Amino acid sequence: MKDEFIHKKIDAAMHSIDKIEKASPRPFLFTRLEARMQNEKNAWTKISSFVSRPIVAFACICLVIFINAMVILFSNNTRNTTNSVTQNGPELATADEYSQVSATLYEFENSKP
Amino acid sequence: MTETELIELLKQRDRTAFKTIVETWQSMVYNTALGILQNEEDAEDVTQETFIQVFESVSSFKGESKFSTWLYRITVSKAMDHIRRKKRKKRFAFIQSLYGKNDEAVIDPPDFFHPGASMENKENAAVLFKAMQQLPSNQKTAFALNKVEGLSYIEISEVMKLSESAVDALLHRAKENLRKILKEYYTTFNENER
Repeated sequence: MKDEFIHKKIDAAMHSIDKIEKASPRPFLFTRLEARMQNEKNAWTKISSFVSRPIVAFACICLVIFINAMVILFSNNTRNTTNSVTQNGPELATADEYSQVSATLYEFENSKP
Repeated sequence: MTETELIELLKQRDRTAFKTIVETWQSMVYNTALGILQNEEDAEDVTQETFIQVFESVSSFKGESKFSTWLYRITVSKAMDHIRRKKRKKRFAFIQSLYGKNDEAVIDPPDFFHPGASMENKENAAVLFKAMQQLPSNQKTAFALNKVEGLSYIEISEVMKLSESAVDALLHRAKENLRKILKEYYTTFNENER
C-alpha cells in the first residue's frame, strides 16, 4: 500500500514536466542586452584610453628604466663585495690564527729579540 | 530574410540582424538556461551572455552544424560556467562565515516553480526540478534538453557532441537516478506526514 503510493508519486513527478509550456523572458531583453554590451565596451574603452595617455606611457617607460638601472647597479655591488671578501679573507685569517699582528705597544717596539 | 543571410549580416556587425536573431531565438536560449539553472534571474543572465558570445564569435561559425545547435552549445556551456561560478561563490561565502568575516548565512535556494508547468503539476514539477539538481551535470543537461526543450536524441547528441547511444545511456541513467532520489524524498515525506 505504502510502496504503491510512493510509486504513484514518483511516476507523477517524472511526468510532471512532459507537457511543460515555454517560459518567456522579461520584455525588452534586447534593450537590456544592448545596455550591457555598451557597459562592457565602456569599461574596456576606459582602460585602453587610460593606458594610452602620454603621461601614463611615459611613467611606465620611466619605471621600466628605473627597474633596469636598479638591477644593474645591485648586481655590480654584489659582485664587488664578493670579490673583496674572497681577496682579503685568507690573509686576515692567517694573521689571526698565528698572532702575527702586534697587539700592544711593547710588543710593537720589541718585535725583534 | 533567411537564417544564412541573417548570419552573414551579423558577421558584418549589423544591429538589425542581431536584433532579429535575439528576438527569434531568445525563448529557446532562455528556456534551455532555465531548465538547467532553475532560476529566472540566472537564466536571463546566461541568455544575455549567450547572445554576447554569439555577437563576438559569429565569425567562427562555419555553418557545419545548424545555427540552433551552435546556440544550444553556447547556452549549455554558459549555464555550466554559471553553476561553477555560483558554487565557487557559495564555497567562498561558507569559508568567510567560518572566519566570521561574513555574517550572512549560506542559504540553499528555494524550490523552483517553473512558470510553464500546469497548476495541477506545479508541486510535482518543483520536486522533480529539485531532484534534478542532484544529478551529475551531463545527465542534468541531457534530461533538461529532452524534457524541457523537447529535443530528440539525435539533436541532443549534436548539441552535446556525443553518439546517439551515449545520449540514450545518459538519459537512462538520469531517469534511474531521479527515481532513486524521488523514492528517498517521498519515503521521508511519508514518514514525516504520519
